[in-house]
Amino acid sequence: MSDEHNVRGFKVCLDRAYHLDFHLWVKVSEGGSVRIGMDPLGLDTAGTLSQLEFADAGTIVARGEPFGTLEAEKFVGPIRSPLSGAIVAANAEVMSSPGICERDPYGDGWFVELMPFDFEGERDQLTEGTVTVVAAFAAKVDEYRRQGVLAE
Amino acid sequence: MTAPAPLRVIDFGDAAPLRSQTLWHAVAYGVSGGAAPTLSFVRPSDPYVSIGYHRRLDEVDLETCAVNSWPVYRRMIGGGPVYLDSGQLFFQITVPVKAVPAARRSALRWLLTPAIEAYHAAGIPAELDEQLEIVVGDRKICGYGAGQIGDAAIVAGNLIIDFDHHAAASILRAPTLTARNELAHLIRRYVAATPADPSAFKAAAIDAYAQAFGLTPREGVLNPIERDRLDELDQRFLSQTWLEGRSRPDPVAWQAKIRAGVWMFAATEREAEVVVCVANDRVLRAHLQHAGLNGSSTSLEAELAGLTLAEAASTLDRSGAAGRSLANLITRADPGRSL
Repeated sequence: MSDEHNVRGFKVCLDRAYHLDFHLWVKVSEGGSVRIGMDPLGLDTAGTLSQLEFADAGTIVARGEPFGTLEAEKFVGPIRSPLSGAIVAANAEVMSSPGICERDPYGDGWFVELMPFDFEGERDQLTEGTVTVVAAFAAKVDEYRRQGVLAE
Repeated sequence: MTAPAPLRVIDFGDAAPLRSQTLWHAVAYGVSGGAAPTLSFVRPSDPYVSIGYHRRLDEVDLETCAVNSWPVYRRMIGGGPVYLDSGQLFFQITVPVKAVPAARRSALRWLLTPAIEAYHAAGIPAELDEQLEIVVGDRKICGYGAGQIGDAAIVAGNLIIDFDHHAAASILRAPTLTARNELAHLIRRYVAATPADPSAFKAAAIDAYAQAFGLTPREGVLNPIERDRLDELDQRFLSQTWLEGRSRPDPVAWQAKIRAGVWMFAATEREAEVVVCVANDRVLRAHLQHAGLNGSSTSLEAELAGLTLAEAASTLDRSGAAGRSLANLITRADPGRSL
């Protein structure tokens, strides 16, 4: 099965885990760190990104606490961490050109790299596995469509 | 039968520049902590400048601000650098974030639609256009910014009773005289005051927000948590570190937005210089400078008007080495920041 799947019109990569309430993906890198970025549904609901800001490398974040801020449509909001850990790197390229996230959300559009403190312990908060991810993503899209926040 | 929940209404009246920012930021912390959804109003007693949370301080012409004794404060919500004075009445609607639609465009539409009714009641035929700008015709009549502070979502906007276009243009740092003149021209063309009775606007806004949210308006004041936060916010907004903000990457070109879809940029490299004004994805006016153009700049500038930026770059690319240098500068513009 391909690593990519089209779910209700949104591209979903299946080689990673998701925090669907925060609209973030989490991909394990070599050495135990994880790379975090925003999924296309989150980007769609955010609107055109104009500004991104991330915590500096070395910053400790708790799960659910902000590791950055995002501005779209003149609306500033927090980007909450799906895991507890220490920021290892922040993507300066997307801070300069947030449009990269819209063009390549699963690749060059990553936000930060984080060294999790307890990945196995917090992993159950993430959605993983082809069937589960596709079903959960589809349910989220359907929920938003019912609320009228996505274009049909 | 339970009584409808309250919409707290706080009219702060005239406030000094600092407090005209920190008062409603304090309200956001209060609503985040459980206070009722709140509609507030404030009018700055004196001119000042406010810059959006993410923006670079060097977008502001600090020298002009200093000469005029206009303080500069960084707010915690979005948007660009703006000039504020007593000719503008500001309103803020602050609600728990969980009540707000998940998509930002839907959230903004939901939070701004009652304001449109208030403009109508004050005799202003305002509309919320497709780009979520509050307009009369093609002119922006309200500057707003939005954000999440704690667990509260807030939108702050204004009724522009009288607008000092010259001051509004002068607070923005422009890289060249041509860019500065164009900036002033675009602000005058695309931002309009809507002289109206502020009391009528306030009364209508209270009714419209209460009805839209199913709440009962009730006059209120800051609660103890908000009063404590106010002192802390005063200190934060006065600190140089907060004002300067976090270090951000250098922009590849100078750019300024006048209203959604109307923006300009300027870029220079060696002997090449471009200043381009864009409206609705088309070049409105272009100014080109390059010694190698040999007097053909005026005809080229005319040729670019009405083209998309990609078409303009392509046209210049076909105009010799000088044209290619200018085309290269045009590709540095970032239309994503025009919305």
